[in-house]
Amino acid sequence: MLLDDLIDSAQSDELLDEFAKREIRRAILAAVAIPGYQVPFGSREMPVARGWGSGGLQITLAVVHDDDVVKVIDQGDDDGVNAVNLRRLVTTSTGADQTSIAAEASVIQSRHRIPEDGLDEESILVLQVPVPEPLRGVERDMRELARMHAEADYSRMWVSLYEDKVRNGVITQTTGYPCLVNDRYVVATTPIPRWDIPRLHESPFLTLFGAGREKRIYAIPPRTKVEPLTFEDVPFEVEHADGATCSLCKSNAAFLVSLPNSDVWMCSDTDWCRRTREASA
Amino acid sequence: MRREPVLDVRRLNKSFVLHAVSDRTVVAFADINFTLSAGEHVALAGMSGAGKSSLLKSIYRTYRPDSGEVWLQIHAGEYVDMCSLTDAEVAAIRGHEIGYVSQFLRSEPRRGALEIVARSARQRGMTDHDAREAAAAALHRVGIEERLWDVYASVLSGGEKQRVNLAAGTVHPPRLLLLDEPLSALDPENRERALTLIASLTHRGVAVVSIFHDLEAIQRLASRVLVLEKGRLVAERSPDELDERLTSAAR
Amino acid sequence: MTNDVEYGRYPVARLAVPEWMLKVERLGRVYGPYDDTVIASTGPEIGSSKSAVNGAVVAAWDVSFEVAAGEALGLVGESGSGKTTVLRCLAGDVAPSCGEARLRTTEGDVSMFDLDSSARRRLRIDTLAVVYQDPAEGLKMNISAGGNIAEPLTAAGWRNFGKIRDRASELLTRTEVPINRMDDLVRSFSGGMKQRVQIAKALANSPSVVLFDEPTTGLDASVAAGVLDLIRSLLEEHRIAAIVVSHDFSVIEMLTSRCLVMQHGRVVENALTDQLLEDPHHPYTQRLVAAARA
Repeated sequence: MLLDDLIDSAQSDELLDEFAKREIRRAILAAVAIPGYQVPFGSREMPVARGWGSGGLQITLAVVHDDDVVKVIDQGDDDGVNAVNLRRLVTTSTGADQTSIAAEASVIQSRHRIPEDGLDEESILVLQVPVPEPLRGVERDMRELARMHAEADYSRMWVSLYEDKVRNGVITQTTGYPCLVNDRYVVATTPIPRWDIPRLHESPFLTLFGAGREKRIYAIPPRTKVEPLTFEDVPFEVEHADGATCSLCKSNAAFLVSLPNSDVWMCSDTDWCRRTREASA
Repeated sequence: MRREPVLDVRRLNKSFVLHAVSDRTVVAFADINFTLSAGEHVALAGMSGAGKSSLLKSIYRTYRPDSGEVWLQIHAGEYVDMCSLTDAEVAAIRGHEIGYVSQFLRSEPRRGALEIVARSARQRGMTDHDAREAAAAALHRVGIEERLWDVYASVLSGGEKQRVNLAAGTVHPPRLLLLDEPLSALDPENRERALTLIASLTHRGVAVVSIFHDLEAIQRLASRVLVLEKGRLVAERSPDELDERLTSAAR
Repeated sequence: MTNDVEYGRYPVARLAVPEWMLKVERLGRVYGPYDDTVIASTGPEIGSSKSAVNGAVVAAWDVSFEVAAGEALGLVGESGSGKTTVLRCLAGDVAPSCGEARLRTTEGDVSMFDLDSSARRRLRIDTLAVVYQDPAEGLKMNISAGGNIAEPLTAAGWRNFGKIRDRASELLTRTEVPINRMDDLVRSFSGGMKQRVQIAKALANSPSVVLFDEPTTGLDASVAAGVLDLIRSLLEEHRIAAIVVSHDFSVIEMLTSRCLVMQHGRVVENALTDQLLEDPHHPYTQRLVAAARA
């Protein structure tokens, strides 16, 4: 009921005014110019709670035109409640079309996944970021954080990886794995699984990261070097469950998630799974 | 033609200003002049407080003389004046050219005798391996048994410490050796060993300035005796003419 | 030749003295505005480092010295004498007000105070290390001993986990920290053990200069003796240029060959360590030595 009211107001009056869009675009340009650098921006109130995709939503609204085609997913699922709501906000606010097929989309807003296929030079991937600061776990002081980034002093991050390996025998960090972008800045990759990390490296598409609550935008431009921080002798490995295949499409070529407390696996990217099933039918 | 001296002390003066006692000045010694050649052993004699130790320390520059010169030969025909060297230069000279053996072993926690002596040899430019071999030989010479070599020197007896000290000072003898009562705590057997060792050094050309507390050591080792009285050099004697009263044992 | 000897003109030898590794010239640190009058209103003769003219504190002034590789220089004085200020200026923890500090590196001489903060930090990683009195200042307590050593190593570009482990265990062995405690949090270590870990960390990238700030103050006597002995051995082994700040003459005597004595922000005496202990000249030094001997 409340959401419908908000959508009505959005239809009559765009969610972001032109001034706000221009400011966000300027932040995006700066972010693209300095890959991995967190650009501050004046995060606006959105009809979603901060921390629920408000940063991604503002980026999407600022880059989408009415001739764009938008795909929105939550954990790989086009039909998640949050994805549906955000998609409706974007399409009604901008007049853009929608799709679930990544290859057809020009702008893809996502929480926690990169679609398995279909992204190319024409695509913009917008990732919703809860915590944009990769060093938050090792340092709280803002000035010290700024200094560490300014001097590319990431030894404390390396120490935390070292400690993780010593404590647990493996590097346990599974999602949001820290990556070095363009040999310069370490970024938080948002909680995307390790599976998606190698796909950011030298990717053909532009990735924009938006953190509404923390008021930060950063970017990985196309064809940019992205390296997960890892020791030479401790190879970076993506998630893999031996013998697991999707219970629906029978494939093991995509990122699989298991249903809680079960051995039943399914593709995380629901649209990819659907298309795989249709192709084999 | 006179032999080139190893040491030439000229018009050397030393006093202490005691700031805590109304800046009172205490003269340690004044206008000391003497020379010493290679292989020569000069003993300093005189009553306690005559300035003997102060003179040794001033030559070594543990004390900073007020005025005068202490010329030390460091290469054939080349000299330095210990009084006008910088601190860093003195530190460098001490490592190589001048040795000082005091009555007491400098306290060194957690060091074995062998390590202490070997370090002394390394400071004089020996390699690690050679230094350890030389240290072992030096400890044998002063009669320190092998089972004591790795015991922390701080727990050794007074006589043992003194012998370790002597071994460190003589392991790779410098051109000039200063001895300040190095035998005071030794039993007769070890004293005999030490006397033999010191005599052998002078035979090998080391110049020695010494203070001994007993007449016998002076007479066996020294070629000349300088007698100090109240900070003045009052006489030069041959060891045979020396009087009991002029050794430091007389107090 | 005979005549030369007779007339006292000996051919003077040229001495090979080791060249400086760190050279400090007229270093000063003043808290508050200052000019010549303010400076002149402080110091040992005045009896204070705080100016009666404007309240500025002249924590250190006109401090000059050199240290060579393999040499340890002592900075002695009571608390407030300025010795720790000098060390912190050299460490880069405190910005000096004036003066110069030159460091010899493989890429030539570096004027440390002219470097930006980033370059200063790099210097701290691979060239100039500090061992603080309080281990909490030099170590992260909630990180393992090995992890603390991994920090300077990774900062210097080490990216091989196995090699980092090897180097950390080598350093901990050398500093006599039981290797089976390598993965324990430093927080759980005794005071002496923390200090050993801090020393191991300082040596991680084989620095050419190490600054020690009261390295054994606060430790039990027997523990302190062990740490001192370790430092001494390390200085002998590694040809490090060291500066040892301490109010404790037994520390200074054990570790250093030369010393500066500081009082009210000024160097009042400058001597070989044995001279300082046996023939102190300045009234302040005489007082300190007398107190230490008592």
